[in-house]
Amino acid sequence: MKVTLAMKPGARSFIPIEAESIVPKNFLAGTDLLVWRGNREFRLDEVFAVSVEGDADRSEDVEVVLSGETFRLKRVGEYMDGGRITILGDIGMHCGNFMSGGTIEVHGNADGWLGREMAGGTILCRGDAADYCASGYRGGRKGMTGGTVEVFGRAGDFLAESIAGGTVIVHGDAGDMPGAEMHGGTLIVHGDCRRPGANMKGGSCYVYGTAQGMLPTFKKIETVQHEGRTLIRFTGDIANRGKGNLFVKDYEYLD
Amino acid sequence: MSELLIRNACVIDPLRGINAETMDIAIRDGRIVEEVSDAAEVIDARGMLTLPGGVDSHTHICGTKVNFGRYMSPEDMRAGRTPRRGPLHATSGYSVPTTYGNSYRYSVMGYTTLLEGAMAPLEARHTHEEFLYTPLQDTMANVLFDGNWGIMEAIRDGDKKRVAAIIAWTLKAVKGFAVKLTNPGGTEAWQWGKNVSCIRDPVPHFEVTPAEIIRSIVEANELLHLPHSVHLHCNNLGTPGNYTCTLGSLGLIPDLNKKRQTLYATHVQFHAYGGSGWKDFCSKSEPIARFVDMRPQIVMDMGQVMFGRTTTMTADGPMEFNLYRLHHEKWSNHDVELETGSGIIPVIYRRKNLVNSIMWAIGLELALLTKSPWQCLLTTDNPNGAPFVKYPEIIGLLMSKKYRDAEFATIHPDTASRVPLPAIERELDWYEIAVMTRAGQARALGLQDLGKGHLGPGADADVAIYPLLIDEVDPSVDYRKVIDAFSRTEYTIKRGRVVARRGECLVDGSNATFWVRPKVSEVYDMGKDPDFIEKFDRYYTVRMRNYPVQAEYLNRNRCIETEAEI
Repeated sequence: MKVTLAMKPGARSFIPIEAESIVPKNFLAGTDLLVWRGNREFRLDEVFAVSVEGDADRSEDVEVVLSGETFRLKRVGEYMDGGRITILGDIGMHCGNFMSGGTIEVHGNADGWLGREMAGGTILCRGDAADYCASGYRGGRKGMTGGTVEVFGRAGDFLAESIAGGTVIVHGDAGDMPGAEMHGGTLIVHGDCRRPGANMKGGSCYVYGTAQGMLPTFKKIETVQHEGRTLIRFTGDIANRGKGNLFVKDYEYLD
Repeated sequence: MSELLIRNACVIDPLRGINAETMDIAIRDGRIVEEVSDAAEVIDARGMLTLPGGVDSHTHICGTKVNFGRYMSPEDMRAGRTPRRGPLHATSGYSVPTTYGNSYRYSVMGYTTLLEGAMAPLEARHTHEEFLYTPLQDTMANVLFDGNWGIMEAIRDGDKKRVAAIIAWTLKAVKGFAVKLTNPGGTEAWQWGKNVSCIRDPVPHFEVTPAEIIRSIVEANELLHLPHSVHLHCNNLGTPGNYTCTLGSLGLIPDLNKKRQTLYATHVQFHAYGGSGWKDFCSKSEPIARFVDMRPQIVMDMGQVMFGRTTTMTADGPMEFNLYRLHHEKWSNHDVELETGSGIIPVIYRRKNLVNSIMWAIGLELALLTKSPWQCLLTTDNPNGAPFVKYPEIIGLLMSKKYRDAEFATIHPDTASRVPLPAIERELDWYEIAVMTRAGQARALGLQDLGKGHLGPGADADVAIYPLLIDEVDPSVDYRKVIDAFSRTEYTIKRGRVVARRGECLVDGSNATFWVRPKVSEVYDMGKDPDFIEKFDRYYTVRMRNYPVQAEYLNRNRCIETEAEI
C-alpha cells in the first residue's frame, strides 16, 4: 500500500504541525487521522491531499510518501514499528522519535532530534541533520538504544548524545559534542567534529576527520588500523571513570 | 447550609477507640455533627472501610527545593503526565510532580492533610505559593532552624528564652507550623565545606554542639507551647554505623509534654544503620525500636525506601554531597544565608543492590518491631525514600508476611544475613494501619484538637472511604486487593465535599494553611530587639521589613495562637 500525502498549499502556516499520527500502521485502518496545528485539531485531508494505492494488512507493507513544504511537520514516525516513510523534502523536529522498526528516508534536511531515543529500524537522511540527532531528550539518561541513523550531509551539535546502542553514521562533519554522555553503540563521523565523546562511559566513537578541541580527559593508547584507515585510539572519558573507545584520525587540543 | 450523610460506613477511628463499627457519619458545613436533617445528600458506603482523611506528617511537596528537583530532572517531568480534564489541571512528574499532580494523587489515595517537611524561612514565600496550588489538602510547613545563627549564638550564651523568642518571631514571620532540625549544626558546617560527625562535635565558628542545639530547641519548643514537637532529622544520615548517633540523639530528649511526644524523629530508616562501612553494612532496627518502645516522648516515622526511581532532597547538604560522590549523578546544592542549606540528587533504588535491599528491609522492620503503631508512622519521606504513591504497597507489605516473603525473594541474596526482617512474623491489622496513616500522624502533629485525624463531632469532615469490605478480605493473603483499595478511594471527602471518587478528582478544592503564632511578652518580641535587628541588617540580603510572608500568601488559613511562657 502506498499512501501519498501532499501538503496542501492552503495549509501553509508558520505554526508547526504535530503529526505523530503519521505512522504506517495507522494507515491500515484508513486515512481518518488527526493532526494538531497550534491549538486546533485538523483532519489529515484538511492539511494534505491524500491518495492511497493498493492495500495492506501489515504495517511492513505500508509506504507513506510525504511531499510539499513538510519542514514544519513534527513528530512524523513517532513510535513507528514497521513500514516505510519517504519524505521528499525537509522534515521538522522529532522525526522518528522512539521508533522501533521500519525505515524513514528523508530526501532533504531534518530538523532537531531526528531519531531521538530510537530503539530500532533505520533512518536515512540525504541532507543535513540539525542538533541532537539520535540523542536523548532533556535530562534523559538514554538516547538511541538500537537501529541505525545514517546522515549523508552534516550533523549539528550534540549528535548521538547519551547514545546507549545502535549505530549512527554521519558522512559530513558533525558539530560540537558528538557522542556526549555515550554509554554504548557506535558513532561514526566521516568529517570533522568538536569535542567528541565528552563524558563517555562506553561504546565506540570513530572520527575519520579531525577532532577539534579534543578533550584532555581522554588517554591515548595506540594506533590502530580500521577499515583501511590509520586511527589513533583513546580511552575515556577518564574524568568519569568511563571505558569508552574514541578513535580519531587527527586531533587538536585547544591552546 | 450543605449536609451530607454517609450511611453504613465501617469506621475505624483510633483517636476515639472505634474499631470497625458500622455507623453513619453526619456532616454539616464541612464539619462532622451528631445528626443531619432528612434533606441531606446521602452516600451509601455499603460497609466499606471508612477512615478519617489521611495525614502525611512528613512529605516534601512544596517549596524551593522541591521546585529545584523539578528543574534538574526534566526526565522526571516526562513521567506521569495526565491531560487537563474537567476541573482538573494537566499534571506531570513522577517523583517530583507538579503541585496539582501531588494534590490529585494524594487525594485519590484518601489523604487530606499534608505537612511540608522542611521550609527554609528565607524562602517561605515559595512554599506558601505552592500551597495555594495544592487545592485538595490542608497544608502546613515545618520551618528549618538547624543552622540559624541567632539561635546558635543564643545557645552558646545559654539563653534559652532567646532561643524560644527567635523561633516565635520566625514562625510568625514565615507562617510556619513547627520547628524542624535537619542535621543540626551540620548544615551550617557545610557552608564551610565541613560537617559534624555526631552530636558532640562543635559547629565551626559557633562553638555549640548538635546535642546542645537539639536540647535547647526541644525545651524552647515547649516554652512556646507549640502544637507539634520538634521535628528532628538526626545527624549523620545514611552512614554505616550511624544508629549509635541516633540512639544518642534520642537519649537527649526529656519527656516534657503530657499530650504528645517531645520529639518527632523523622525518616529513622536512614538512621538505623550498623556496620563500619558499606562492606559490613547491616540493619540496626532492633535497638532503635526497643529504645523507642521505652520512651513515650519519642515518635518516629519510617522513611521507607521502595525500589525504583526517585529524587532525594533535604536540607542536609553534606549528606547529599556524599550521596553524589557515591552515585556520580546530577547534584544540586544550595545555601540559605543565615539559616540552612539543601542538596538534591535523583537516585534509583535497585533490588540487585545490597545496600538498597537492606534499606528497604529496615523501614519495614522499624514499623513491625515498634510495639505501638502510635510511635512509628508510615511515611517514605516523600520523595526521598520513594514517591508517596508507594504508600499502598507499604501498607500491603506491613499487613502481609506472604507479600514480604515474595518481595524478599527478589532482592539481593545477601540481604537475609544482614537484616532481621525474614524472622518477623507480625502482620499489622486495619486498626494499626489507621493509626500509622492518620490518627497517629494527627496526634503527633498536635492536630486532633483542631479537628484532624478523627471523625468525632466537631472534627473537620475529612473522610476516606476505601472500596474494601474488611470482613471479606484477608490482608495477609489478598494483599493485592488491599493495595488496590488504598491506591484508589471510593470517595475522598474533604471538608464535607466529595473531592475524589474512584480515582477521579472531581472538584478544585479550596485548602487551608495552618500556621502558628506564639504570643510572647514585649521583652521577647524579636521584631523590637536591637541586637536581632542589627544582625539582620548586617548579614541578610533582605531587609527585615521585607522578610515576613504577607497575608495575601494565605488565602484560607487557620492561625493557631499559643500562649508562650516567655
